[in-house]
Amino acid sequence: MIESSPVVRFSIQHRTEYRYGLPMSDGYTVAHLLPRDTAHQRVVSAHVEVEPVADEYEEHIDLFGNRVVRIGIHHRHDALTVVGHCVVDVDVVPDDGGLPVSSPAWEDVAAAVAGARGDLAAEVAPFAAVTEATPALPALDHLVGDLFWPGRPILDVVAAVSSRIYGEFVFDAEFSDVSTPIAAVIAARRGVCQDFAHLMLACLRSRGLAARYVSGYIETFPAPGEVKLTGTDASHAWCSVWSPGIGWLDADPTNDQVPPRRHITVGWGRDYADVPPVRGVVIGPSSWQTLDVGVDVAAV
Amino acid sequence: MVDISNSAVGYRAPSGRFDEAIAPDGSIRPVWASVGAAFGSLHPGELREHQRQADRLLDAEGAGHLVHELAAPDSADDASIADSRPWRLDPVPLVIGHDEFAVLSHGVAQRARLVEALLGDLYGDGTLVRSGVVPASVLFSAPSLRTTMAHHTPARWVVHYSVDLVRTADGAWRVVQDLTDAPSGAGYALLNRSVMARVMPEAMRQAGVAPITTYTDALRRALAAQSPPGRRSPRTVVLTGGPTHPTYVEHSYLAMQMGFHLAEGSDLVVRKNRVWLRALDGVEPVDVIYRRLEDARLDPLDSRTMGGAGVPAITWAAQAGGVVLANAFGSRLVEEPALASCFDDAARSLLGETLELQRWDGTEALGTTPCHAGTNDDVLVPGRVVLRLHAAIGPDGVTLMDGGVGRVLALDDHPTEPTTRMVKDVWVVGGPAAQRVPVRVSHPQVDFGSSVPKRAADALYWMGRAAERAEVGARTVRVVAGQLQQDASLVSVGGGGWALGAIGLLRAAQMLPMSIGDGDGNTSLTDRVHHEVVTGQVAVAEQIRSLVDEATSVRQYLSTTTGRVLGRLTRLRADLVRADAAPDDLDIVLVDLAALAGLAMESTVRGPAWRFLDLARRLERALAVLGSIEAAAGRAVEPLAFQPLAETLLSVNESLVAYRRRYRSDVELGAVIELLVHDDANPRSLAFQLDRLREHMASLAWQQGSDLVQQASLGALGAVDDVVAGGRRISVDSLVLAARGPLLELGNAVVQRWFADPVNPMVLGSAIGSTFGEPR
Repeated sequence: MIESSPVVRFSIQHRTEYRYGLPMSDGYTVAHLLPRDTAHQRVVSAHVEVEPVADEYEEHIDLFGNRVVRIGIHHRHDALTVVGHCVVDVDVVPDDGGLPVSSPAWEDVAAAVAGARGDLAAEVAPFAAVTEATPALPALDHLVGDLFWPGRPILDVVAAVSSRIYGEFVFDAEFSDVSTPIAAVIAARRGVCQDFAHLMLACLRSRGLAARYVSGYIETFPAPGEVKLTGTDASHAWCSVWSPGIGWLDADPTNDQVPPRRHITVGWGRDYADVPPVRGVVIGPSSWQTLDVGVDVAAV
Repeated sequence: MVDISNSAVGYRAPSGRFDEAIAPDGSIRPVWASVGAAFGSLHPGELREHQRQADRLLDAEGAGHLVHELAAPDSADDASIADSRPWRLDPVPLVIGHDEFAVLSHGVAQRARLVEALLGDLYGDGTLVRSGVVPASVLFSAPSLRTTMAHHTPARWVVHYSVDLVRTADGAWRVVQDLTDAPSGAGYALLNRSVMARVMPEAMRQAGVAPITTYTDALRRALAAQSPPGRRSPRTVVLTGGPTHPTYVEHSYLAMQMGFHLAEGSDLVVRKNRVWLRALDGVEPVDVIYRRLEDARLDPLDSRTMGGAGVPAITWAAQAGGVVLANAFGSRLVEEPALASCFDDAARSLLGETLELQRWDGTEALGTTPCHAGTNDDVLVPGRVVLRLHAAIGPDGVTLMDGGVGRVLALDDHPTEPTTRMVKDVWVVGGPAAQRVPVRVSHPQVDFGSSVPKRAADALYWMGRAAERAEVGARTVRVVAGQLQQDASLVSVGGGGWALGAIGLLRAAQMLPMSIGDGDGNTSLTDRVHHEVVTGQVAVAEQIRSLVDEATSVRQYLSTTTGRVLGRLTRLRADLVRADAAPDDLDIVLVDLAALAGLAMESTVRGPAWRFLDLARRLERALAVLGSIEAAAGRAVEPLAFQPLAETLLSVNESLVAYRRRYRSDVELGAVIELLVHDDANPRSLAFQLDRLREHMASLAWQQGSDLVQQASLGALGAVDDVVAGGRRISVDSLVLAARGPLLELGNAVVQRWFADPVNPMVLGSAIGSTFGEPR
């Protein structure tokens, strides 16, 4: 924790709206919308609002310590709105860094992950997993293999991988969706934050490092001279890398930054599938459905 | 004692490898000697006869073949039907001595305890991860790890454990894989045994083969014991992926054997952490689910599953303790190949034991056992077999099925994927004489006689309608074609009046419109009648397909014999789509359809399932009677044509004999209408169908239905004076219209009232946004 960090208070509203062509009889939603406390942030308030009124609403903490909401609606409804509201105080990392100046060699970090026992094994090693979204591909070596020279400090390596992805990949909201594999992202050299986070995780994990997928928000700014519109912010995703003595340190390859700058963490997991913001299933007649998502992040 | 290596059978075991029948010194092993004696001479011809019987019986079991033959669309090719046979049963069993099986059982029971302990630890305390026995990175890379199950400790993870075993060339049993995620095979073992018991009952008795049917009792008891605490009369259902699931046959068979409802995903709904069965009139609670649906398809809400056939939130209910899933969600984890190497250490660490059964290393050569070489060559040949055993784990501990399925391996097969589809029954012999202990389930299963899943009633209803429509179609085609065969000149009788009436009847039977004009002048009447006969035949084939399709998903409500008839109809169907099908083919179809109708009346419990089946038949028959009257009697024809046409009409409604017996006169319109419409003693009449419908509506206590039946009755009352206008008999037309309207409305109302509300889960788009990079 960095003592001189300025604290910024963010107010966030994350609205997900479904509409159905015909009324549905039952609807189920799992939401990862309630942020958790971290070393860099304190949650002042958070709640989830559901319209129509939910017939069941349950909150629990998952294996990774995230706050999960389960919602059930068991009467006819032709629309569903789930809104996450929260206010979070964030210790923003100053522009001049404030990062540790020295860090262990990346191989030593990998060895520490592999050799972890006891509580450390349970806390760290799950994030060294190779998952469907973060596969060990030969293409990863071509992409970042030259950055992992022996003895290179882990924080240098992480910064270099982040910069490599930031430099070589184009942000393209049209290119991918939640199911686009990173192989396609690598081939096309484009994607969105989630793809870049998965890509970076795959690069690090293929070297035996432990890194989390972090799901959250980022405050955005209008182009100069324009007024910020509501609903134009978005969910965001980045990584967090573990090293002994330092703990977890975030890295955002989409912006080549070390969060939190204007980042607010909701939760983390091995990849997107552990912490999807909203996932739902409805039961009812076949019909069209529409989905509308809006996120507002404001510093207050 | 019989020498199976005698010249007649010519069995030669390969030297230097363990063989189940022949010892290294060339002598016959004792267990095989006893079985050999029971077999008798084992002449090649006898083996061939056993094989033929086994094929026929498995075929007749119907269950499987209904499903599998449907997968061969519209094919009249015998080869493809044979090909679609899901498996063949080798008449030569895999024989294991009781003492050896006891040792094997002990090892299997140990593994069953180990997988239970493993799941408890991996999802719970995590001692294996903390101590490094199971690296967390390996565990968390496992696709079948369900993180939502962490720290949710079900009372029991695994109720049904299965294991694949092989015998190596040096005679040791080795494990190929442990199975916990809806393991298949137990139902097939029971099916195979029921066939073997009929093929060679005497041999089985003499050899003292241990019974396996007690396994279903053990499984049923183990499942009932899982019921959440405090549930009175707990209810268990078998959850299947539906008729398209590769092992649906055994889902259906097991459900029948255990007396549980077979539920598809859409039959169940989760509300407030309880699971409910969608029954005909509302929902009914379910306490235990024996799931035959794989972990990855169980709950579409789990983001690492595929969704589809599953039940949304079923895992929420299980985690909250509202329902018990057997096996528990997440239990597939122990099947992960990456974890296999941890089993030895895990056994030491969790059980304090050494594993009795070692894993096959994938390279060791396998031993052999005598296999029937097949129909071309009637000798025994050595074959390699992978054996699947099943254990039910309940309050009494681990109960093994004293048998199983041995799958024969082709030359290049890996034991996890046998390709031959040739299986063996597994005989455990030489044990103490079987004692049949009457077994009682500790909690009585709620009688489902009065409740039936909505989907099943829906399917039975459409099955009934398709069956009746197929029958009407087949009889109409048969009658018209038969009359023409006897007297081709009928076509020109009465200025073509008979032919036009016959065309009308054929089209009515296919539910096609009547207004076909009087021809375009180019096509001869003979050709037009012939054309309608052929299309009528194809339409019958189509109705049989619908009938079998619907029947497949409600197989458990139908008797075994019904299954066989459906199997025959499926094969006959292939003949009907050929244009040159003989009228005789239709006769056979008619016999089978009549058998089906008879079975529905005589061999089906008169619960709601039967009611919807019969209701549908009555409704369809009522509509068919009206349709045929409209087609044949609505049209004013020359008197010369009327006589043969009225006979056709009566034959199509199977009432010609009754007419002749009653009237002993020429056919006369008023009398025909009387017999087909008003005579409530004629089982083919409209009045008779309406009486049955009235009874059904009363039993359902359904006012709207009763009212519509009443309206149809009133509509049919009108007198039939022979008033002709514009070539139509006005009175016949108005009678048909007045009665048909309410009946068509009844058809719609049944669907609306009882089956509306389609229940297909849709997975909604997940909402992740993306961000625009911060301004640089």
